[in-house]
Amino acid sequence: MKVKVDKTLAASIVLHVLVIGWGLVSWSTKAYVMPEEESVAVDVISPDQLSHVMAGQKDGKKENPKPLVDKVAEAKPVDDTVGKVEEKKPPVVTDTAPQPAPKVEKPEDKKPDPPKKVENKPKEEPKPVEKKPDPVKPDPIAEAIKKEEKKPPPKPVQQAAKPPPEQKPKDRVFDQSKIAALLDKRDPTRAAATGDTLNANAALGTAKGKAADNSATWGAMFKQQVERCWKKPYGGIEAQQTEAVFSIKLKRDGSLEGMPVPEGTPATPYLRVYQESALRAIIECQPYNLPAAFFDEWKYFAPVFTERKT
Amino acid sequence: MTDQNDLRAMTFRLDRRQMISGMAALGVLAGSRSAFAQKRVVIPEGDFAPLPIAIPNFAAGTPGDTEVGVGVTQVITNNLKRSGLFAPIDQAAYLEKQINIDAAPNFNNWKSINAQALVTGRMTRQGNGRVKAEFRLWDVNTGQQLAGQQYDTSAEYWRRIAHIISDQIYERLTGEKGYFDTRVVFVDESGSADRRVKRLALMDQDGANVRYLTRGSDLVLTPRFSPSTQEITYMEFGQGDPRVYLLNIETGQREIVGNFPGMSFSPRFSPDGQRVIMSLQQGGNSNLFVMDLRSKSMTRLTDTPAIDTSPSYAPDGTRLCFESDRGGKPQIYVMPATGGGAQRISFGDGTYSTPVWSPRGDYIAFTKQGGGQFAIGIMKPDGSGERILTSGFHNEGPTFAPNGRVVMFFRDPGGNSGPSLFTIDVSGRNELRVPTPGFASDPAWSPLLS
Repeated sequence: MKVKVDKTLAASIVLHVLVIGWGLVSWSTKAYVMPEEESVAVDVISPDQLSHVMAGQKDGKKENPKPLVDKVAEAKPVDDTVGKVEEKKPPVVTDTAPQPAPKVEKPEDKKPDPPKKVENKPKEEPKPVEKKPDPVKPDPIAEAIKKEEKKPPPKPVQQAAKPPPEQKPKDRVFDQSKIAALLDKRDPTRAAATGDTLNANAALGTAKGKAADNSATWGAMFKQQVERCWKKPYGGIEAQQTEAVFSIKLKRDGSLEGMPVPEGTPATPYLRVYQESALRAIIECQPYNLPAAFFDEWKYFAPVFTERKT
Repeated sequence: MTDQNDLRAMTFRLDRRQMISGMAALGVLAGSRSAFAQKRVVIPEGDFAPLPIAIPNFAAGTPGDTEVGVGVTQVITNNLKRSGLFAPIDQAAYLEKQINIDAAPNFNNWKSINAQALVTGRMTRQGNGRVKAEFRLWDVNTGQQLAGQQYDTSAEYWRRIAHIISDQIYERLTGEKGYFDTRVVFVDESGSADRRVKRLALMDQDGANVRYLTRGSDLVLTPRFSPSTQEITYMEFGQGDPRVYLLNIETGQREIVGNFPGMSFSPRFSPDGQRVIMSLQQGGNSNLFVMDLRSKSMTRLTDTPAIDTSPSYAPDGTRLCFESDRGGKPQIYVMPATGGGAQRISFGDGTYSTPVWSPRGDYIAFTKQGGGQFAIGIMKPDGSGERILTSGFHNEGPTFAPNGRVVMFFRDPGGNSGPSLFTIDVSGRNELRVPTPGFASDPAWSPLLS
């Protein structure tokens, strides 16, 4: 009996402690724990915003030299990186005269590796090209016609027979001992990625690009924190086209490295007051608890306090 | 030859310097270009929040000034708090009680109690019976001084000093003119409901310094300030017909504005103070007339078989709004100050009366009656954007604070009780009762005194 009473008492105490403790944490004005804000995967954005998301920073660190998009990656061995990227083509085994290989295969994505090996082949093959008219037809009908005409000199025929790969299709004989001959001895190549997967980091480090933009994540966290300190001045009942923009530099611990720099000088007394109130908020709410992973992005950015409804 | 060489070297050096400066300029350009790459984080439409402000007691310049220092602090605190735009922090929370106004405060002591603004001050009695007031307004987070002034006044006017300082703080922190250094004239009501005594009374905007301007033998209504705040025009039921009077507050001198047969009522000054506009009753109708106070000449503005009354000028004096039942029910109309071409602007259900144009020009406040309720509302001068600020059994007679941000009106709960004065923000927030000695009605807010 006694034990039972103790149990309920204990349960009651535990519950009270839990509830009060929860209240202490969750009702306090300062945020103890700042949950990481996840970027919402599905979001309605304008094309302009999209291009922003996909753009990077000029001075962004080149962390990802391998293009991420290429699906080939799983199938191909490591030495693929050395391999030449070329357009997907039918296998080069052919019975027609080899044409000068198209140089088209220059990669669209700037592969660091120079296109070396494949071009070598076309260079070797120009020889048969000279004799093109003769070696053309190894098939019986053509030979028959030629025999009738009696014109064809025997030499060219022999020459035509010379390239072994051209003969093979004719007989279709499979010689097991010569399997090795079937192997493609060119350097490994891989097909260029046709993937339509977005690669946010594709342009990293290029002159045109910008760094990946994770500001949706840390920006929302910054906003949440600075809002707690912002005592927005009351600007009347009319929606005012007020906006205050700052440049701020943060240290790794989330505190300000220097005074926030306001953009532009306020034109009206209310604008000035609005700007000052935002400035006060930025200063008062530091240090900011922002994800360290994105420090490179939030160490220097521009908070925009605005009344404009877009 | 060597000279030439030197010269050449010099010119070369110059060139190089130019090149360097050119490169520096390029560098600057590159720097500014990279600014475009900065991420922008938008913090949109935060909620309005009153500003936490700390107002420690003003220091005493001489030992005898402690009381006035505390008094000034209390008046400022009360003003700012009543405005609804500030949240003065309780003095009990202060880590520092005595602040030296001559030195920069220790801002950490104020940051830790979440103050964003800090007021320091000192009151010092001078040899000639006057008192010197000094104050500074600080931004706690940036450590900047936002405002600082000193005033010198006769000791009895310390409340006005407090109001003036309040206005300075209000203006610096909200970006709008203040309204604390103002007065309110109203009709003080005393006695039982059937034998009400009505007197004209004057008080500070916060209810202090009440003065009675009439004795109460005659019924008075609708007092209005002149722009100079030195005169009041009002209607009084004397022995005969009700008349419009002009009263000088300082001298107590009184005169009838135009002595016409029939009743004259609902007077109001023009913004330049040169004219008084009023209604004149002629038979069953009343029309608007304007009197030039210098020449005493009267000009008719309306001529309708209806009741036109409660005229009020726009702040620029070019137009006026008034109430008329020419359309059947009382509604609000706007017309040029010279008369003619009146345009109805109120189209809601019910009737509209007592329009008054905001000193800021953006709104017209009115009393709206309908559904058994009296409401105070505002609308734009073109009739759009109507909004009701408060509604109830009986609310009437709105008047604007000089900055157009606050409306004062009177409310009568009915029964044996009597009316009292209230203020409300034009946003509909922050409804507050204004302390008066007795019942009070028909308030009119003065322009800023200073």
